[in-house]
Amino acid sequence: MNMDPMEISELTAELERLHGASFGWAMSCCRRDPTEAEEVLQTVYLKILEGKARYRGESSLKTWLFAVIRKTAATEYRRTLLRRLRLTAAPEQINEPVATGESPTTSFEKSEVQTQFQNALKTLPKRQREALHLVFYEDLSLRETADVMGVSIGSARQHYERGKKRLRESLGQMEIGYGISWRGKANPSAV
Amino acid sequence: MELAGEEKQIRALFSELRFADELATPSFTAVWYRAQSRALRPQRAFNLSFVAATALLVCALVGLGLWSRYLSQTRQPNIAVSSPPLTPTITPTPVVPKSTPHELSVTLHPNAKRSIKLAARRDAEQNALASAEINNAKAISSWQSPTDSLMRSPGEQVLTTLPQLNDAATQLKSFLPDRDKK
Repeated sequence: MNMDPMEISELTAELERLHGASFGWAMSCCRRDPTEAEEVLQTVYLKILEGKARYRGESSLKTWLFAVIRKTAATEYRRTLLRRLRLTAAPEQINEPVATGESPTTSFEKSEVQTQFQNALKTLPKRQREALHLVFYEDLSLRETADVMGVSIGSARQHYERGKKRLRESLGQMEIGYGISWRGKANPSAV
Repeated sequence: MELAGEEKQIRALFSELRFADELATPSFTAVWYRAQSRALRPQRAFNLSFVAATALLVCALVGLGLWSRYLSQTRQPNIAVSSPPLTPTITPTPVVPKSTPHELSVTLHPNAKRSIKLAARRDAEQNALASAEINNAKAISSWQSPTDSLMRSPGEQVLTTLPQLNDAATQLKSFLPDRDKK
């Protein structure tokens, strides 16, 4: 390990505090597969321990950590795809892997609304989904979202606005939303 | 910043999602210690794909070396013959073995005898090719162009010969009348 014991202990406490949010972000990056998300998170912690990912204080620890999780998830996904291609898997197996870590009880308990919401999220392009997750799930600002995604704030805003619009359209088609029609006009005073 | 109605609804849905994810989150301790154990594991000095690629490269290089060596061996007789000396005085000399055949058959291995025969045959072939090359060279040097006559001009003699000291006087004399006859 390349880090100081002092550094490790300080970082461990912070990482533990952010662990729940990190896992949620990893789930979003790994197409809601909890096994893959856990593997990605473990790889990120390993990178931090080996000094391959170093926090230099350029942004907040959370945005830095989330950026590392995002890149690691993308790398792992590419490796998994290559591995599957090498084993000459059938095309339908490569496209979208089924979340294998979900127990039957969990899936039963999930409400229909939540299921449809998650299905609607899956239809969004990756960057729009990421932007919405970071703003609504992680409560990050658009600037912090842009830092995590590695884009300009203008691009982040664009992804956010388009994601919201598309999600509204998808949910409107599915007729869900706590009794409120999603087909209503967008509020011009929205952020 | 006040959220619009639909944004509140999106946030509510995401909050529900976050709650479900919290139930499925593995413990930090378990993930962290697994990462630590991976970090402490001795790393392999090499990986399998790197070794396979290196082995393929080495085999390819060795194969290339052997192939080029084989090519140079098969071309060797042609290279030796293609540049013989072009003087007409050269005549091919017969190859004489240094030891008598009787001695060879007694002292040498059959493989050595075969190789000596092969060498003698190769030398004879080389000499035959050399004489053929010499004949070709002679024919080339004596060749004259069919359009050579077109290159000759009336004043060519002036350009190709050097004037002699008494030339002018000798020529003049031929124009002068014969005084003796008078």
